Amino acid sequence: MSVELSKKGQVLSATGLSAGYDGRAIVTGISVEATPGKVVSIVGPNGSGKSTLLKSMVGVVRVLEGSVAVAGQSITNMAPEQVAKLGVGYVPQIDDVFPPLSVKENLEIGGYLLKRNEVHERIEAVLEFFPKLKVMMTRKAGKLSGGERKMLAMGRVLMLSPSVLVLDEPTANLAPIVATQLLEEYIRGFADFGSTVLLVEQRAKAALRISDWTYVLGGGRVVLEGAPQELSQNPIFVESFLGGGAGARAPRP
Amino acid sequence: MSVFLSSLGFGLISAAVLAIATVGFTMQFAVTNVLNLAYGSIMINSAFVSYYVNEHGVSAWVALIGGVITGAVASWLLNRFIYTPFQRRNLAPITVVIVSLGIDLIGTFGLQAIVGGGYVSFNQSQGHEYHFLGLILSGLQLIIFGICAVVLVGIHGLLKYTRLGKAMRATSANRNLARNSGVKTQFIISTTWLISGALCGLAGTVFAMNAGVFEATSAQQYIVLLLAAMFLGGPGEPYGAMFGAITIGVATEVSAAYVNPQYKLVVAFVVLLGMLTFRPFGLFGSEKTN
Amino acid sequence: MPSYGFYFAIILVYGAVDAMACLGLNFEFGVAGISNFGFIIFQAMGAYTAAVLSMPNAAHSNGGFQQYVLGWHLPWPLPWIGAAIAGGLLALPFVFLVGKRLRGDFAAVGLLVSAVLLNLLVTNYVPLFNGAAGISLVPAPFQSIWNTQGLGYQFSYGAVATILTIGVYFLVKRLTESPFGRSLRAMRDNDIVADSLGKDLRAQRTSVLILGGMIAGLSGAILVGFITLWAPSAWGYAETIVLFAAIIIGGAGNHKGAVLGAIIVPLGFEEITRYLPPVGNPELVPALEWVAIGLLIVLFLWFRPNGILPERRRILSHDKNDPATLAPPETGDLAREMSAAVPDDLSDDHSDALIKIGNVDRLNFRDLLRLGEPVNDHRVILSTNGLTKTFNGVTVVSDVTISINQGRLTGMIGPNGAGKSTTLAMLAGTLSPSSGQIFYEGRDITSLPSNKRALAGMVRTFQLASEFKKLTVLENLVSAIPHQSGDSFFGALRGKRYWGAEDRANIERAKDVLDGFGLFQYADAYAGGLSGGQRRLVEIMRALLAEPKVLLLDEPMAGVHPNLAHKIGDQLTRLCDSGMTIVMVEHELSLMDAFCDPVIVLAEGRVLAQGTMAELRLKEEVVEAYLVG
Repeated sequence: MSVELSKKGQVLSATGLSAGYDGRAIVTGISVEATPGKVVSIVGPNGSGKSTLLKSMVGVVRVLEGSVAVAGQSITNMAPEQVAKLGVGYVPQIDDVFPPLSVKENLEIGGYLLKRNEVHERIEAVLEFFPKLKVMMTRKAGKLSGGERKMLAMGRVLMLSPSVLVLDEPTANLAPIVATQLLEEYIRGFADFGSTVLLVEQRAKAALRISDWTYVLGGGRVVLEGAPQELSQNPIFVESFLGGGAGARAPRP
Repeated sequence: MSVFLSSLGFGLISAAVLAIATVGFTMQFAVTNVLNLAYGSIMINSAFVSYYVNEHGVSAWVALIGGVITGAVASWLLNRFIYTPFQRRNLAPITVVIVSLGIDLIGTFGLQAIVGGGYVSFNQSQGHEYHFLGLILSGLQLIIFGICAVVLVGIHGLLKYTRLGKAMRATSANRNLARNSGVKTQFIISTTWLISGALCGLAGTVFAMNAGVFEATSAQQYIVLLLAAMFLGGPGEPYGAMFGAITIGVATEVSAAYVNPQYKLVVAFVVLLGMLTFRPFGLFGSEKTN
Repeated sequence: MPSYGFYFAIILVYGAVDAMACLGLNFEFGVAGISNFGFIIFQAMGAYTAAVLSMPNAAHSNGGFQQYVLGWHLPWPLPWIGAAIAGGLLALPFVFLVGKRLRGDFAAVGLLVSAVLLNLLVTNYVPLFNGAAGISLVPAPFQSIWNTQGLGYQFSYGAVATILTIGVYFLVKRLTESPFGRSLRAMRDNDIVADSLGKDLRAQRTSVLILGGMIAGLSGAILVGFITLWAPSAWGYAETIVLFAAIIIGGAGNHKGAVLGAIIVPLGFEEITRYLPPVGNPELVPALEWVAIGLLIVLFLWFRPNGILPERRRILSHDKNDPATLAPPETGDLAREMSAAVPDDLSDDHSDALIKIGNVDRLNFRDLLRLGEPVNDHRVILSTNGLTKTFNGVTVVSDVTISINQGRLTGMIGPNGAGKSTTLAMLAGTLSPSSGQIFYEGRDITSLPSNKRALAGMVRTFQLASEFKKLTVLENLVSAIPHQSGDSFFGALRGKRYWGAEDRANIERAKDVLDGFGLFQYADAYAGGLSGGQRRLVEIMRALLAEPKVLLLDEPMAGVHPNLAHKIGDQLTRLCDSGMTIVMVEHELSLMDAFCDPVIVLAEGRVLAQGTMAELRLKEEVVEAYLVG
C-alpha cells in the first residue's frame, strides 16, 4: 500500500452497553474493545444482537445503558455524523451504498467532510486499494455486483481515512471466494496497516482466521471471548453454531 | 397547423413553469417522503407577495425575488414546524397528507381573507410579439421561458456537480448512510426545503404572470398538474419531474387547442390515474426491493 | 330571519344530511381505512341523480332554460332510491384504485384528483347537469299536494331525514360490530397481513366503497330535495376535507364521533357564521371558516389524534358463566390504554421467559383448530418446481425445487440473503415467482392469489411485527377464523341473530387458545401494546385459528426468549402430530435440531442440501457455505 489509507488506529470500546429499539434492550451488559492494528471480530448466531451492538456503537441505535468511547472520548449516543467525524467508519450490512448515485459520487459523499481539493486525491488512493472500481466510476451503485458493491461501501468509508473501521457482515451475500478475498486481503490488510477493525461476521471460521480476538454473542450477551485458536477448540463455541444450542443461549443471569 | 403551433408555444411556457414547480414538489417528496399538498397555496401566496412588491412601483422582475423568498421561507417553516414534528410520531403517511390539506386550506383562504376575492394582475407589459418557427410568443413569455430554462439548468448543475446537490441526492437515497458519511442530514433537509420552496415561490409568481390575472384561489387546481407530472416521471425523481412536467404541460395546452380549453386538465387526470394504477413508481422508476 | 320553528327544521335537515355523509365517510375511513379524498363526488352524484329523476323532461318544461339528462319526473321516493344506487355505482370505477396494494396516500391523491376533475367536467359540459349554473327548480317531494314552505312540511322533511340518518347509523354500526367489521378494521390496521389470513381485500374495499357511495348519494338526494338546487360550486373537492375534519374531530372509527363531528364542523360552522355581522370584504367570513377548518384538522391531529370520542375498544372476553374473567381496564385514550394494558414487569423482552404456556398441553388442537383426523402418511402436500424470483435483474431465489411432506415440521435455514423469506413468501403467495410452479395437494397454485391460498389452508406469519394494532388480542385471534357467516357484507347485514351464536363459539375457541398460551389476561388489551414475545405468540395463535393445513412461519422465534422459543417449538411439534404441516424459516439452529425434520438449507438463492441437522452438519458444503465459511 503506497498511499496512506487510514489514520493511525484508535481504541474503540463499549462498556456495560445495553441498547435496543423503543426502549427495549436487544443487547445487554456488553463490553468489547477493539485496538489498533488488530482485527477484533464479533460472531454469533443470527438474532444474537451483533448488528444491534454495532449500530449502537456508531450512533444509529440508541444506547440505553453503558458507554461507548473512541480514543478515550465518549461517543455514547452521539449523532452518526459526529461519530464519522471522529474517525469511525461504519459499513452497514445492507443499504451500504447510495444506489442512484454513481460510484464516483458515492466516493465523493464518503469524502463529504474533506476539503474540496483533498477529495480527488483520496479517490485516487481508494481506487489504488480497490482497482476494480476504476473502470466503473460512472456506473450507478445500484447496478454493481455484490462484491463490487461491498468494495464501494468500504471505499466510501475509507474516503475519510478512518482510524477505526466498523464492518457489519461484509461478506453476507458474497460468493465464498469473494468473501475470503475480502476478509483476508482487504480487511486483514487494514489492521496490518495499523487501523482498528471491529468486524461482525456470520462466517465464523473465516472470521476467526483473520481475527486477533473474538467475542461470541448469544441472546444479546457476550457468551465467550478469547483468542481465535483457543475458541476454535472450545466445544461451546462449536455448539453455538452447529446446534446443540447451549452456546447460543444466554447464561442464566 | 397554426393552431397546433400557437398552442405548442403556449404549452412550452406552461410546461416550463410546471417543470420548476414539479421539481420543487418532487424534491420535497424525495428528502422527506411528504406529499406536500399545500404546495399550491404557497405558490399563490408567493405570487401575491410579488404582486404587492410590484404594486409599490418595483419592476415585476425584481418583485419576483420577494416571491422566491416567501416560498423558500414558508416552505422551510412548514417542514420544520409542522411536517417534521408529525413525522417524528411515526404516523401513517396519510395523516401527514391530511395535515398538508389542512395547511392548504389555511394558506389559500388565509390569503383570501387578507386580499379579498378579486382578480389582480401584475403591472407588467406583455412586450413585443415574436414570431419564429411558426411559434408566436410575447416578450413576457420569452422571459418567463428563459428564467425557467436557466433555473432548470441551474438545478441540474446543483444536483449533478455540487457537493450540496450530491448530499441532497444521497440524503434522499439513504438518510442513515448519509449521516454515517458525515453528512448533516438535518441541514441538508432544511436546505432542500429552502431551495424547493424557492422554486415553489418562483413557479407561483411566473405562473401568475403567465396567467395574466389571478386571485387567491387560482392555484387550487394546479396540484393536479403537479401530481400528474410527478407520477409520470416517478415520485422523488427531479429529472423525471422535468420530463413529466414538459409532457403534461405541452399535452394539456395542445389538447386545449383542439377540444374545449376547459377540459385541458383531463389529460393530466388520465395520465395521473393511469400511472397510479399501473406504474406508481413512474415510467422510468422501478419498484423498490427490500 | 324566519321564526325559530322554521330555523329548527332547517337545522334538522342540514344536520341529518351532514351526519349521514359523515357516517358514510367514517365507515370508509375510520373503519375500513380507505382515505376517500373524493367522497364529496358521491354526494354530488346522488344530488344530481335525485334532481334529474324528479324533474320533468328538460325540453318540455320551464321554457328549456336549463339543460339536463333524464328528466323522468318520478315520484318520491324513487329519486332518492335512484340517488343511492347512483352513488353506489359511481364507486365501481374507483375500486381499481383502492383495490390494489397502492400506498394509502397515493390512492387518496388519486381520489382527490378525481374529485377535482369530475367537478371540472360537470362545470363545463352543460348538457349533463346544466354546467356551472347548476340545476334549479328541483321538485321537492310532494310539492304538488303539500305546501313546501309550511312549517309542517319542513318539519316532516327534517323528521324523515333524521329517521333515515338514524337508520344509516344503525346500518353502519351493525356492519362494524359484525365479524365483517372486524375484518375491515384488520384490513385498516395491516392490509397485507389481512390478505394473508384469507381476507379478500378487493371485495371488502369494493363493498365498503359502494355502501359509502350509496350513503353519500342518499344524503345528496335529501339535501337537493330540500334546497331545490344543485351546482358544482356546492361540491368542490375541499368539501370532502370538511367531512374529514368532522371525523377527525369527532373520532375516526367511532360512529357517534362521526355524528358529533358533523354537528360541530359542517353544521356548526354554517350556523355560527349566520350570526356574524358582515365585516370586511364579502369573502372574509367564508375564507376564515376555511382557515378555521384547516386549523382544527392540524390541531386535532396533533393534540387529540383519536378525536373527542375515540374508537371504542371491543371487550369480547366477557362471559357470564366465567366470573374469573378479568375486569377490563377502563376505556380512555388509546396510547394510555396501550401502555396501561401491559404491566411494567412484563413489558420488556426478558419477561417473555415468564409467559406460562403450560396450559397449552391440555388444548385439544384437533378439535380447537378443526384439524380433522390426522393422516400422517407423510405424503407430499406442497412442492415447488424451479421456483425463481428476480428483483430488478437480481436473482434472489434461483431454481428452487423442494417437496414438503404432510405432518412434518420442515425447517428452512441459510445465511442472510439466502432467499428463505422470499421462498416462503412465494409459497404463501405474498410474492409471485418470476418463473417456476408451486403445487399444493396435487394442484398447480402458482397463480392463486394469497388470500385464496389461505382459505385453501396455507397460512403464513411474518418476520416483522404484524399484529392488528387497534384490535384487541382476542379480536386479532377471532378475525383469523375462516368461513365465518358474519364475515361478509351480506352475512353481516343479516345481523347478530344470524351470526351471533357462531361468533360466540368462535370467541370461546379463541379464548381457549389464548388461555392455553398463557395470554388470557391480555384478551381485551390492544395487541399493539404487547411486548415483542407476546406479539409473536399472538401472531402464531392467530395463524393457528386460520385453520391451516400448512403453516408457513417466517422466523417465529426472532426476538423471543429461548425458553419461550422452546415452549413454542414443543407446541409446533404437537401440531404436526395432530396432522398439521409446518414450514419454518429460522436462524436459531438449536431449534432446528430440537424440532425440525427435515431441514432444507438455502444459500445464494439455491437449495444446497436437505436432511436432518445431524446429517447436514456432516456435509462439507453446508458447513463451508453456510455455517462457518
